[in-house]
Amino acid sequence: MERMRETLRALLRRALSERGRDTPGISDVLIEISHGSLQPRLGILFADGYRAWTTLSPSDCYDFCERHLAWDLERLHRVLLLEAHQVYSAMLETQRGPQRDAAAQPPRTLTERLQQLGAAIAQAWRPRWGNAFLTRVDRGLFAPDGYNAAEERGLRLLKENLNEAQLEQYQRHQYFDVIGGQTGRRYRIRYGRSMNIDQLDKRGRRICGWCFFPEGRLVAGDVMLAQKLALELFESDTIEVANRL
Amino acid sequence: MSVQIVMDRSGDTRHEFDVADPQALAQAEERFRELTGKGFRAVALSGDGNPGKLLRSFDSEVEQTLFIPQLQGG
Repeated sequence: MERMRETLRALLRRALSERGRDTPGISDVLIEISHGSLQPRLGILFADGYRAWTTLSPSDCYDFCERHLAWDLERLHRVLLLEAHQVYSAMLETQRGPQRDAAAQPPRTLTERLQQLGAAIAQAWRPRWGNAFLTRVDRGLFAPDGYNAAEERGLRLLKENLNEAQLEQYQRHQYFDVIGGQTGRRYRIRYGRSMNIDQLDKRGRRICGWCFFPEGRLVAGDVMLAQKLALELFESDTIEVANRL
Repeated sequence: MSVQIVMDRSGDTRHEFDVADPQALAQAEERFRELTGKGFRAVALSGDGNPGKLLRSFDSEVEQTLFIPQLQGG
């Protein structure tokens, strides 16, 4: 098996084992280029803001780039995100089988109950996206010059143009819902720059995903605002260019 | 003052202009034509987060116009 796929699998397995049954979708993959003596790192950003990281060996990166002809960051990001979604979907399917059976039986012993309580407490205390320290460390060390300011400007513009309900939803969950201007369909836009839109049914269940974004490798805030306005104001044209996931 | 906001890699670039100034207004209209000609969509922002309005032509009455680069499927 390709080594990058193995790396992704190991990273996602670790995230799943830490999260237990709480398994939000993948919002984005994060690539940190090598910096001085530090190795490049690959991260997965989940829909609830949780991040998992691993280091990459230069030879694995090179093999992967060669195989997928991904010699620029934009293409590499896109291919890795697709790969991560595929690996994650397969892992969730495998995991759901035994979990369905286990879920039917509540914990019986005191030890099991304590384990469950411990996992819930650990989860509640896990650092999240928006944590000031993590934001500074994660973005400051590796971000290209000016990226932090651009990211913040993009998020500010987004927040200025969300309505009250959307803003509250975004601040709480890192996603917000949008009603399609022509069809009345409900979409959920999660933090991210691609593969971050779900179409929901009336009960809020995911029907499918959509992928579209503005050209020019914009920051996440700009991308999410463009996605919101596109669905509200020119939904049909947008869905025509979007890819269904 | 009105403003045209263009999404770009820096987050956005803002061009403020006074509608009472004919030269500034002409520049704003020219910018509108240039950007929409390149495939940008122009949206009149509502200011309260509710859906704005898609602009097909320059409107000097609009206070905040956002330019969105062309969309592509991923």
